Amino acid sequence: MSFWLTVFRQVGRNLRQTWGSQLMTLLTVSLSVLIFAFFYLIYANMLTLGDKLGDDLSLIVYLEEEPGPELQQQLRNKILTFDEVEEIRFISRAEAYERFAKQLGQNQDVLNDMPKDFLPPSIEVIPMKNLRSLNQVKLFSTYLSRLPGTLKVQYGQDWVERFYYFTKLLSIIVLLSGTLLILTTIFMVAYTIRLTIHGRQAELELLKLVGATNNYIRTPFLLEGLLQGAIGSFLGIFSLYMLFQWIKLRFSGPSFLNLFEFSFFAPEVSFTIITVSILLCTLGSYSTMQKFLRI
Amino acid sequence: MIEMIKVSKEYPPDVVALKDISISIDSGEMFFIIGRSGAGKTTLLKLLCSMEAPSSGLIEISGKPINQLKGHHLARLRQRIGVAYQDFKLLIDRTTAENIAISMEVSYKKPQIIRKRVRDLLEQLDLSDKHDTITGELSRGEQQRVTLARAVANSPTMILVDEPTGNLDAATTEKVMTLLNKCHKGGATIVIATHDDSIYRHTSHRVMELQKGRLHGITGGELP
Repeated sequence: MSFWLTVFRQVGRNLRQTWGSQLMTLLTVSLSVLIFAFFYLIYANMLTLGDKLGDDLSLIVYLEEEPGPELQQQLRNKILTFDEVEEIRFISRAEAYERFAKQLGQNQDVLNDMPKDFLPPSIEVIPMKNLRSLNQVKLFSTYLSRLPGTLKVQYGQDWVERFYYFTKLLSIIVLLSGTLLILTTIFMVAYTIRLTIHGRQAELELLKLVGATNNYIRTPFLLEGLLQGAIGSFLGIFSLYMLFQWIKLRFSGPSFLNLFEFSFFAPEVSFTIITVSILLCTLGSYSTMQKFLRI
Repeated sequence: MIEMIKVSKEYPPDVVALKDISISIDSGEMFFIIGRSGAGKTTLLKLLCSMEAPSSGLIEISGKPINQLKGHHLARLRQRIGVAYQDFKLLIDRTTAENIAISMEVSYKKPQIIRKRVRDLLEQLDLSDKHDTITGELSRGEQQRVTLARAVANSPTMILVDEPTGNLDAATTEKVMTLLNKCHKGGATIVIATHDDSIYRHTSHRVMELQKGRLHGITGGELP
């Protein structure tokens, strides 16, 4: 009989004998993966959303006077000292007036009595389209307000701040649920394997005496941990996928969810979560064997 | 085959189970160890199968010091040694067939070979009808025979048997001894620890007597 055939038979026997605790472990692993993946999915979608919202974000720096070409270059250098930006545009008083008039459309005759230089000149700073830049907008705004000749800086302050705190909270939840996943999977798998080892003490002792090699005794336990990780994490990810599909279907139509395009993990991300879970479970199994399985 | 040189075994705090035992058992020999309860027979067998390590002295099997063997090498050696323990060491929630098969499974024998060997042994030991019986439901005598069957199943080169007839009637004792003689004729070295004089009284093999852990004497025997 080949080594692997024997090992699989042993695994099958173990699973049959301790199916209750095995099932509990499987459920725990699935649930941990589900909780972690759920928050991670929201977090990942929030990042995408942040990128999209960042597309429309710009900081408008109102200036006291129109800068000459040399001052423009100096201001440009100052801005770039703080962070890389997508674009810097200088808007003269005349350009500002034209834009305003265009925005007013048919009502632009209200401007007839106004002088053409009543609007202040400004700089439009478009930050890079990533979440880091988005989160830095507040600091950026403070920095810009201190530039010489600045009247004030405007941007969508409220939503940017709210969004920043929300993503920060999510990242903490993802971290916590990730830690929970690691601890519960390692602990539960280690505990189940420990139970199995205790339950099969007589058999393991006999196996040693009749000449079973270390691999013969240990591989089935490692394989058990690996299987729990693989099946548990697959179930967790699959449940999340079903939940995701259900929510998409249930809330399709004109609702809050339709404002953003929510998407499920890319296959590589799901694969990584499953692989990490397998590694964690195998690690749990291995640590228990090192501790309780003396060969 | 087996060399023991000044082997002693002590258990804490100060129990001397064996003291300065030196013997040589040749390959293919049948060897009896006799003595009263507590004389050290079981301890000696445990040392021979490396279930326990000696406190001092050297034990060599086929030229290899067994207390220095580890891992894969120790496993390989144990596969070549069949042991019928006094306390049986049966898996009482498994069937008779599964218990016997275990010693062959660890050396990756093919399932059909295992099945055939199990049936042959059960027939020789008059246990054919117990093939699928859980060993926990067997009588002591039946359990003893299953233990012996497991010890010889893998056709080991050395068979250690601890009190093989302790729970058996005369007819079954004869069957057990017939099986052991058959293994002996097949070339295996057999070491039997017993206090049942009916199985060694008329033997031509060597008989070693232990008394309070010390070698009291070796009688009879011509090396094969």
